[in-house]
Amino acid sequence: MKTLQTEHLTKRFLGLVAVNDVSFSLDAGEILGIIGPNGAGKTTFIHLVSGILMPSSGKILYKGRDVTYVPAHERARMGIARTFQLIHPLENLTVLENVMIGAVFSRGQSLKEARKSAEGICDSLQLGGLGRDTASLSILEIKKMEIARALANGPEILFLDEVMAGLNTDETRQMISMVKAIAKERGLAVGVVEHVMGVIRELTERVIVLEAGELIAEGPYSEVSKNPRVIEAYLGGAA
Amino acid sequence: MKRNTQFAAAGAVLMAALPAFLGAYPLNVARSVMTYMALAVSWDMLLRSGQISFGIAGLFGLGSYASALLVLRAGMDPVLSLVFATFFTGAVAWILGFAVLRLRAMYFSITTLALAEIFRIILHNLHDFSGGPEGVVLPGVIFGGDAHALYWLCLGGLIITLGVSWYFERSKMHLALTAIRNDETSARSSGVDIFRFLLIAFTVTSTLQGMMGAIQVQSYGFTTPETAFDANFTLLPLAMALLGGIHSTLGPMAGAVLLGIASEWLKLKIPYGHLVVYGIIIVLVILLMPRGLVGLARKRLTGRRA
Repeated sequence: MKTLQTEHLTKRFLGLVAVNDVSFSLDAGEILGIIGPNGAGKTTFIHLVSGILMPSSGKILYKGRDVTYVPAHERARMGIARTFQLIHPLENLTVLENVMIGAVFSRGQSLKEARKSAEGICDSLQLGGLGRDTASLSILEIKKMEIARALANGPEILFLDEVMAGLNTDETRQMISMVKAIAKERGLAVGVVEHVMGVIRELTERVIVLEAGELIAEGPYSEVSKNPRVIEAYLGGAA
Repeated sequence: MKRNTQFAAAGAVLMAALPAFLGAYPLNVARSVMTYMALAVSWDMLLRSGQISFGIAGLFGLGSYASALLVLRAGMDPVLSLVFATFFTGAVAWILGFAVLRLRAMYFSITTLALAEIFRIILHNLHDFSGGPEGVVLPGVIFGGDAHALYWLCLGGLIITLGVSWYFERSKMHLALTAIRNDETSARSSGVDIFRFLLIAFTVTSTLQGMMGAIQVQSYGFTTPETAFDANFTLLPLAMALLGGIHSTLGPMAGAVLLGIASEWLKLKIPYGHLVVYGIIIVLVILLMPRGLVGLARKRLTGRRA
C-alpha cells in the first residue's frame, strides 16, 4: 500500500486549470522531487494533498483511506505535514512556541510534553536560541523552524515547498544532508518542490514534472532531465 | 511570573480594602470602572485571535435583559437569574457563532455591530414582553441595594473575567488564538481546528459580557433598550484596551482604570464631551503607540520589541 496516492486530481480556478488530472504515488522512505516551470501548479498540488485547498475532482488516498475532502487540520493530525513557500513565521510567539503548536494541536500533547518534543526537534535540526522571537531569525533559521514546525506534527509525509530558496551554497548543502537524515531517521515519505536542479539531483530518487497543471514526465532525475517534453517545458518550444 | 503574582496580590488587597474607605458615590464609580474593565478584557480575549468584535454592547444588553426578564416574567430569584442570564447569553453566542465566525475582518466586525442593533430593536418592539422602549423596572435592587454588596458582586464578575483571561494566556488557547491571528493557513497545517477555537473564544467572551450585563441590571434595578445596548458599552472598552495595550490581560486593565476614572471626571466637567475626548484618545493611541501603555512600558524596560 502506497503512503499517499492521488487519482486524476484536478483543481480549477474558474477558467484556469491549475492541476489537471494528476495521478501519482509516494512511498514511505522515498524522497520525491516535484519540479516544473513557474506556474506549473506545484504549490497548488501541495495545497490539495495537505487539504489547504479542496480539489474540483479526483481522489486523494492516504494509507489506503480516502482523504479527498478531509479538512487540513485533520490531515495534519493524520500525519500529512508541509512547509510553506511564502513563509509566515508566527510573530508574537517565540521560536519554541512556533514549533510547539504542531505538537499540541496535531499530536494532542500537553504544553509540557510539547515543549520537550519541540526542543528535541529543534536540537536535531541544530536550531538554537529558542526563546527568541522570530523577527531576529536568519533565513536559514527560519527555514529550519518551518521544517521543525512540520515535524512537530509527528508526520509520516512531509512536503517541502521550496525550503532551499534564498539559501547560499553552503546552507543549501547543509539543508540537503539534513533533509536526507530526517527522512531516513523517521522513515518519512518526502515530497520536495524545488527550482534548483542541483538540489533535486542530489536529494531525490524520483521526480515528477508538472507543466500547466499536467504531469508530463516521471522517473529518476537523470532520465527526466533528458526528456524532450521536459526540456521544451523549461526552455520553450523550438517553433 | 513572580512579579505578576505580586501585582495580582497587591491589586486584590487594594480592591478588598476600597469599600472600607470609599463612600457610596466613589464605590459607584469603582463599579463602573470594574464593569468596563471586565468588558475591555473580554473584548481583548477575542481580539487575540485577530477578530475585532463590535458586539460587546449587544451581548451585554442581552445579558441585562435576560436577567431582568427572568426576574420579572418568571419570578426567578435575582441571584439565580444572574447565573441563568449568563449562560443564556453564552448559548445565544454559541449559536450565532456558527454564522458570524465564518466571516473575517471587517465583515465580522460589522455583523457583530449589527447584532446589538437587532437585539435592541427586537426588545424595543416586544412591548408586552420586554416593556418596549420604556424598558423594565425590577421590583427591587439585588441585595437590597447595599453599596458594599453591589461592589462585591461586581468585583466577583471582574475576577471571574480576569481569571478566564489569565487561563487563556497560559493554556493552549494562547497558542491556538495567536496562531490563528498570525496566519490561518499555517495554523491549519499545524492541526489547529480554527473554527472550534474561534467558537470557544467567541462563546466564552460573550458569556462574560452577558454576565456583566446581568450584574449591571440587577445593581440598578431598571433598564431600557437604549441603556442596555448603549454603544458606549462597545466603544469605551475598545478605547480602554487600545490605550492600555492589546493582546494581554494587564493592558485593558490599565486602560480601564485610566479612562474609567477620567470619564467620570469629564462627565462632570463637560457632559457628553467625554466622548470627544475618547475619540481623540483612540486616534492618538493608534497613531503614536499602537501597542498601548503596557507595550510602551515593556519597550522601555526591556529595550526591545514587546
